[in-house]
Amino acid sequence: MIYPKKLSSKKKDLIFKILLICSVVLGLLLLLINKLTTPEVPWAALSNAGIIYVWITVFYSIKKNINIAGHVLVQAIAISLLTVFIDYKLGFEKWSINISVPIIIMIANVTMLVLTIVSHKKYIKYAIYQLIIVLLSMIPVILISENILENKVLSIVASGISILNLILTLFLCAKDVKAAIVRKFHI
Amino acid sequence: MKNKKIKKDNKLYWRRLDNSAKIFPIAAGRKYSTVFRLSAVLKEKVEPKMLYKAVNRALVQYPSFKVRMKAGFFWYYLEYNPKDVVIEEEKDYPCKYIEPRTNNNYLFKVTYFENKINIDIFHSLTDGNSGNMFFKEIIYNYLELLHKDELKEERSTRKIVENNTEDSYMKNYDKKAKGNASSKKAYVLKGKKIGFGAISTIHEIIDLEALKKESKKYEATITQYLTAVLIYSIYEANYKKYNYKGSKPIKVCIPVNLKKYFPSKTMSNFFSYITLEAEMKKDNLDTFDKIIEFVKTDFKKRLQEEEIIKTMSANVKLGTNFIIKILPLIIKKFFVRLSYIEIRKYTTITYSNIGRVGIIGKYKDYIDYFLMLIAPEPVEKIKCSSCTFENKMVFTFTSILKDNSIEKCFYNFLKERNINVEIESNGVLDDISKEIK
Repeated sequence: MIYPKKLSSKKKDLIFKILLICSVVLGLLLLLINKLTTPEVPWAALSNAGIIYVWITVFYSIKKNINIAGHVLVQAIAISLLTVFIDYKLGFEKWSINISVPIIIMIANVTMLVLTIVSHKKYIKYAIYQLIIVLLSMIPVILISENILENKVLSIVASGISILNLILTLFLCAKDVKAAIVRKFHI
Repeated sequence: MKNKKIKKDNKLYWRRLDNSAKIFPIAAGRKYSTVFRLSAVLKEKVEPKMLYKAVNRALVQYPSFKVRMKAGFFWYYLEYNPKDVVIEEEKDYPCKYIEPRTNNNYLFKVTYFENKINIDIFHSLTDGNSGNMFFKEIIYNYLELLHKDELKEERSTRKIVENNTEDSYMKNYDKKAKGNASSKKAYVLKGKKIGFGAISTIHEIIDLEALKKESKKYEATITQYLTAVLIYSIYEANYKKYNYKGSKPIKVCIPVNLKKYFPSKTMSNFFSYITLEAEMKKDNLDTFDKIIEFVKTDFKKRLQEEEIIKTMSANVKLGTNFIIKILPLIIKKFFVRLSYIEIRKYTTITYSNIGRVGIIGKYKDYIDYFLMLIAPEPVEKIKCSSCTFENKMVFTFTSILKDNSIEKCFYNFLKERNINVEIESNGVLDDISKEIK
């Protein structure tokens, strides 16, 4: 006998699939109730956006090979999109792009700064995420130049912090940044 | 200070995938795992703690295996894996897709059951030949840890292979060579699938001396002889059984170790393949004698160095094409997965023979035999492989077909010629294994 008697194909994903189906059913149910009861208030869309956000977080959290900087990046993008969507559904008063997004960018940059200082020896792991966060942090600058924003101070501060963060990172870990770029973009 | 330097060097270590390896992570998934397995059946029960130590020692000798896969913007690449290797008892079917998150991101998985040690290797990491070298290192280390006194002398004389990871394809391919790929689609094996992700494994343990004698009668090599038996079994037990009316040939893909043709010591992939094209109807290949004559002639034609360079070069050229190189990985994935559905239709079956597993000195005393397995896939529903240790050649069928007629026909054919064959299986198609026995 060279094989165990009961070989099984792993069914760990079954629970995951059931939960995913439940979420879809719940989302559709909410949309239906919303349409039948209070169609003038789009609360079902907001709930569904929340469900999608939760799933993005779950997907990323169970991936063991994503490092902490990856989580910072994913959360920054997901929460920004969620707030913009909520704002849009509630009449687009621009509180999301004026206040929420800049604050999220600030938090993401400060977190990355702390990560860089605390564990700069492991920085090569964070470099690419850091660069993407810096790039995304420039979105408020574009919005300012296009005159879309009303409250520019927060956005300027957010982008400023991001640039400062980048300069400090290059000062501390320039070699790692270069190495990370070479391996990520080799052809 | 030195330790710090090593750690820093490890942290920075990364390497590109070799030309063959590039395609595997792009195409691989649960249905198409591109994983192969090597197993050693020992004469005593496996001790997991010793096995864990043995694997760690082997990783020191072969650091090119201590890596994980990362996605770049254009291609995947390998980088140093700081995590601990995982050793588990065998629970799953062989050659299944290696989930990185269940395996600390290693591209190989070591498992054990009773007397058997397995290593499942993702093809991006290496090919069967180099995988075998790494596996042998694990077995040597394991036996040395377990039998320190008995193997003391042997250990000191054992040679350690250089850990070279060059891309030998790039070094040896011919830029001017033209491709020789056949445009004809292959006969696809018929029959219902087992389902539930199960893989049936049937090992036919063949008496090597008897097999040699029999193949000599036909002036054929063992690989040629077994390939002919395989084609004959497919013809009798699937092609004819399902009353195939079409004209597609039975195409057998046979991997070729390129280290035999080029001076290379790489531990990365360095293999190519030849594809035999048996036109059963057109060439009237309805008896074994006709089939073996065809196999011998086709082998001779396709195993010429020129032909092999053509196939290898055509594949390398694809990977070095500038347009393909600069396509973002996500787009490459889309196109490769789409084209792979089509590419798979050009092979009926794959048969890989890694030959003799050369184990030195007293280590042999602790080993019964070796096994090699390749993952079957939705189109190529059966894959065959073989390896030899001492007087035992183990021919393995890994299959997702419910119908085991091909395995049975293969077994009966050898038995009828007085070649002793024993059967081992993983029990997925229990009735079948009993029937053969």
